[in-house]
Amino acid sequence: MLKRIMLAIATVLNASLALATPLTMENLGDGIYVHHGVHEDTSEGYHADICNISFIVGSKGIAVIDTGGSLKTGQALREAIRQVSELPILYVINTHVHPDHIFGNAAFTQDKATFVGHEKLPDAMERRRENYLRINQQWLGEDFNGSELVKPSLIVKTTANLDLGDRTILLTAYPLAHTNTDLTVLDKKSSTLWTGDLLFVERTPSIDGDIKGWLAVINELKNNEAEFAIPGHSSSLKDANWKKQLNDQERYLWTLLNDIRASIKKGEVMEKAMGTAAASERSYWQLFDIVNRRNVNNIYPALEWE
Amino acid sequence: MLKRSLLIGCLSLIAFGNIAHAESDPKKWPLVREAFFAQRPMADAPFITFVAPRRAESGAQVPLEIAIDQTQAHANGIKTIYLLVDSNPIPLTATYNLTNKLGKFKLATRIRMEMDSYIRAVGETADGKLFLASVEIRAAGGCGGTVDGDEAAIRAAAGQIKMNVESPVKFGNATSTTFIIKHPMRTGLQRDLVSQGFVPAFFIQKAAFTYNNETVMNVDFGVGTSEDPYLRFNFIPSAPGVLAVKAVDNDGKEFSHQTDVKN
Repeated sequence: MLKRIMLAIATVLNASLALATPLTMENLGDGIYVHHGVHEDTSEGYHADICNISFIVGSKGIAVIDTGGSLKTGQALREAIRQVSELPILYVINTHVHPDHIFGNAAFTQDKATFVGHEKLPDAMERRRENYLRINQQWLGEDFNGSELVKPSLIVKTTANLDLGDRTILLTAYPLAHTNTDLTVLDKKSSTLWTGDLLFVERTPSIDGDIKGWLAVINELKNNEAEFAIPGHSSSLKDANWKKQLNDQERYLWTLLNDIRASIKKGEVMEKAMGTAAASERSYWQLFDIVNRRNVNNIYPALEWE
Repeated sequence: MLKRSLLIGCLSLIAFGNIAHAESDPKKWPLVREAFFAQRPMADAPFITFVAPRRAESGAQVPLEIAIDQTQAHANGIKTIYLLVDSNPIPLTATYNLTNKLGKFKLATRIRMEMDSYIRAVGETADGKLFLASVEIRAAGGCGGTVDGDEAAIRAAAGQIKMNVESPVKFGNATSTTFIIKHPMRTGLQRDLVSQGFVPAFFIQKAAFTYNNETVMNVDFGVGTSEDPYLRFNFIPSAPGVLAVKAVDNDGKEFSHQTDVKN
């Protein structure tokens, strides 16, 4: 009888654990797997699956790089990992504080994974907590159920190495750029750099930190010797030349900065610049009309003090 | 090298959940109105208009323009405009006390919005009649948010003023003037992660504008006015002179600036 009850419980447990459909992963070889999100805006119609989500399988265990925008996405990622490997999930790394990258974290608390992030990530999560929970609930409804902020317990001030057995990955923290919590991950074994949102591909780069700081970081990344990069957002890695992608992004940011400076110098108003700044970049980027306007609104007031 | 091959799994995540569309809550206005204008009648004001985004790009700096299509000489000349944001934790965002030197009032500012909300401009006449104009803006997250950076540097820079009068000046006509004052405008609602409480409110309370020592406009700011308070308004300089501003923050610290208005 007891055995039967146990069996029944186990069946129920299995059923509930198997609910998530595994996330579609691209196998890049060398133990590296990437999921590409879709280029939706974070507003109504957002499905918590817009960024690139990755994991690296080492001989000792697995490191996850970003977890998507909801517990549901995180669970789907975990399912996908478990289709590939039964090794322990050792680390869950967040490349920065934005909700599309962090709200799947809770799917990995059961693994006793070490959560890893920029030195400023715990504070940034706390400051944004109420707002993030409210707006994501509003956008996602019940698909956001169970999502919570899981803060890093291992923080990176400058650099840190994480041991995955046959490979060590190098984490680097950056000063104020895309956000105040930007972190890259380098896997030397495959010569691959995860840039987080320090590099956007296709999707219009969004600025939530400091445009000049970001341009400085781009200069630094140009010297990075990694052969491949996995950006924060992209639909594919096919034939990707990440240094060219970095140049494209730099060109957008410089155009935006120069156009805003010119607007301020001419005595124009921000509302006008929101429709005109960086207009020459419009055809190169997705979600341009939404994100570019937001960028101008975010950075114009500070640039008035230059 | 990296091999790009097989796909694992078969379906990307498709969410079918009920998406709750939050919208500005019209039930808040009766409460706000009662708190600020208890029992007083209020008429619609088609002569008060807004230029505002339908959806704010940034809740921290929402551009908003208010205009009154009549002057002080009108029988119902508006002496005071109260700017309120229904859904903000502290609705009263600014109070503009007007004079006839402004001509037809036209002012642009930048405000904070915590969530979707109606914006109210309540005009008050000299004899206490109230007129209401409203606009709805969708927005998120402008009131709590981030307080980060070097506190000493922020305090040291607070109070710097930039003022610019459009040139060439056409004396006797409406002239656009831009005023910005550097100030963090701490709401008192931002988290202090050290004390686990809140960062104390720290904001510009007043700015008084004069032209050749005569009052042009007095502004009382609330914390719903964005960081680095911004005003762009028309006034009518009758002759060359000096536009001056005196501002004070809630620590009692005073800041002043003046600019020559000439041909």
